[in-house]
Amino acid sequence: MSVVANPAPTGTASPVAAPRDEDAHVRIRDLRVRYAPDAPLVLDGVDLDIHRGEMVALLGASGSGKSTLMKSLTGFAPITSGTVRAGDVDVAGLRPRELRALRAQVGQVFQQFNLIGRLSVLTNVLTGSLHHAGPVNLLGTFRAGERRRALELLDRVGIGHKANEEARSLSGGQQQRVAIARALMQNPRLILADEPVASLDPKMSRVVLQLLRSIAREEGIPVLVSLHVLPLALEHSDRIVGLRHGRTLVEGRTAELDASSLAPVYDIEDEEDEG
Amino acid sequence: MTTVKDGAPVGQSSRADATATQLDPRERERLERAFSVPRSRFLLGVGAAVALFIWSANGAQFDFLKLGEGASHMGEFLTRLFPPDFSKFGLIVELLIETLQMAIVGTALGAILSLIMAFGAASTIAPRWLYYPCRWTMNVIRSLPDLVIALMFVSAVGLGPFAGILAMTVGSIGSIGKVFAEAMEAVDRGPIVAMEAVGASKRQVIQYGIVPQALPMLTSYTLLLFEGNVRGATILGLVGAGGIGLELTTAMNRYEYGHLCAMVICIVVLVTIIDQASAIIRRKIT
Repeated sequence: MSVVANPAPTGTASPVAAPRDEDAHVRIRDLRVRYAPDAPLVLDGVDLDIHRGEMVALLGASGSGKSTLMKSLTGFAPITSGTVRAGDVDVAGLRPRELRALRAQVGQVFQQFNLIGRLSVLTNVLTGSLHHAGPVNLLGTFRAGERRRALELLDRVGIGHKANEEARSLSGGQQQRVAIARALMQNPRLILADEPVASLDPKMSRVVLQLLRSIAREEGIPVLVSLHVLPLALEHSDRIVGLRHGRTLVEGRTAELDASSLAPVYDIEDEEDEG
Repeated sequence: MTTVKDGAPVGQSSRADATATQLDPRERERLERAFSVPRSRFLLGVGAAVALFIWSANGAQFDFLKLGEGASHMGEFLTRLFPPDFSKFGLIVELLIETLQMAIVGTALGAILSLIMAFGAASTIAPRWLYYPCRWTMNVIRSLPDLVIALMFVSAVGLGPFAGILAMTVGSIGSIGKVFAEAMEAVDRGPIVAMEAVGASKRQVIQYGIVPQALPMLTSYTLLLFEGNVRGATILGLVGAGGIGLELTTAMNRYEYGHLCAMVICIVVLVTIIDQASAIIRRKIT
C-alpha cells in the first residue's frame, strides 16, 4: 500500500496515517525533535515502522530531518515528544550506560565511512566489537574468535584479501564495505546507513546497496538507509519513506511507487514549472 | 502543480533565495579587478606590526651599525677557533654520548608525561575541571627558563647528568604537552563518531578513535623534542647539569679555542645526523 500526502500547502499537510504494526522491530510514534527550546522542530510528528528483513529507504531534501530521524534511534538526537522503540528498548530517557548498550546493537554506516585510516582493515572491523571487549584490549589486542569472525565478515563483503592493508589505501567502495563489515561485527539488530553511497560512483553505489539489501533479506536485519537518488531508492528498497520539512510526505511499498509519486519530496514539480 | 511553502509560491521563494545569495555588486566588482588596493584594516595591521617591530628593536638596542663595527672582532674570535684541536677527541666523544643519553632518557620520560598531561589538556577529551588545571600547569612550566629548572634540580640531586635529565623531562611537559594536546584536538571527528556509534567507552574512543589518528603528529613532535633536547643538553651543562656543556664552558674560560672548536664541530655532526635520521623516520610514519 502506498500513501502520498497532499503536497499542497506543506504547512497544512498532515503526516501520513498508515496502518501501524505493533510487531515491527522499530516503532516510532508521533516523534517530535527540536535541538534547543526556542529552535524550530526538525521532526514534527513522524511515525515509522521497520520490520525484520526489510530495507527501508528514507528520502528527503537536505534539512528534511532524515539524519535527525536516524540519530533519534540511537539517542544522538533529543526526543522532544513521542516514542522511539528499537526492539524492546524505549530510547527516550536512557542513561549513558544503557545508551551505549543500545548503540552496540545498532550498526551504523556513514557517508564518509569514518574508518581509522592508519589502522588495518581487520582492526577497523574489530572495533565493531569494542562494546563487548573488556579491559583486555587495552594494548589493542582482540580475541582469536573475534578475529576469525571479522575475517569471515570481510569475506562476506568481498574484501577478505585486503584484511592486512591500511584502511586509507582502499577505494571509496572498498572502505564502505569495511564500514558495513564493522557494523555487522556488532551483531546488530538494526542497521542505519546515512547516505552511504553519496561519496561513491554509480557502479559502486549499486554494489553497496545490493550488499545492504542482501544483509536485510538473508540475515533478517532491518536496514534504514537514507538516499538522495530516486532510481537507487526505487531499485534497492522494499519500502520508501519521503520526508519534507520534518514530516512524512510519502510512504509506501517501493513496488507501488514511481519517480512521479516521489517527486514532491524534492520539489521537482516546482522546478519544472519554473523552467 | 506548484507546491506552496509558507503561503508563497515556491518558485517565487526560490527567486528570492537566489537574490539573497548574490554577492554585493561593489564587492563583486572589487573581486573581479586584477589589482586592488588593500583593505584599510590590512594596511592598519601592517602599520601596527612595523611600529611594534621598531619599538621592540629600539628597546632591545638592536643596531646594524654596531654589528658592522664589531664584525672585525667577530672575525678575530673565529680565527682563534681554527685550527680545531682534536687531541681530546676521546673525551669529546664520551661527553657527547653522555649528552645523547641524557637527551634520550629526558625525551622518553618527557614524552610519556607530556602524553598523560595532554589527555587532560585536550578539550575534546578532558572534562572542564581537569582541562584548566592541566593547561595552567603547562603554562607555568613553559614560562620557567630551562636553566632555572636545571638549577632547581642541581640543588636537589647535585651536579651531574641526572639533574639535566630531570630538567629536560619537566621542561618537555610545558612545551610538547601543549602540542600533543592540540594534535589530539585536531583529529578528524569521523572515526570518533563511529566509535561512539558502536557503543565504545570513553577510553576506547581515545584508544581507537583519537590516538591512532594523532600518532604521526605525536611521533613527529617527539622527534623534534629529541632534537631540541640534544641541543638543550649542551646548554644545561653550563649550570653543572651534565653533558658536554660543562666542558664547553671550561674550554672558553681557559681560552682553549682549538678544543672548543673541535667540540662545536662534533656537536654539529651529531645534530646533523639526528636531523637526518628524524627526517627519514618522519617520512616513514606520515
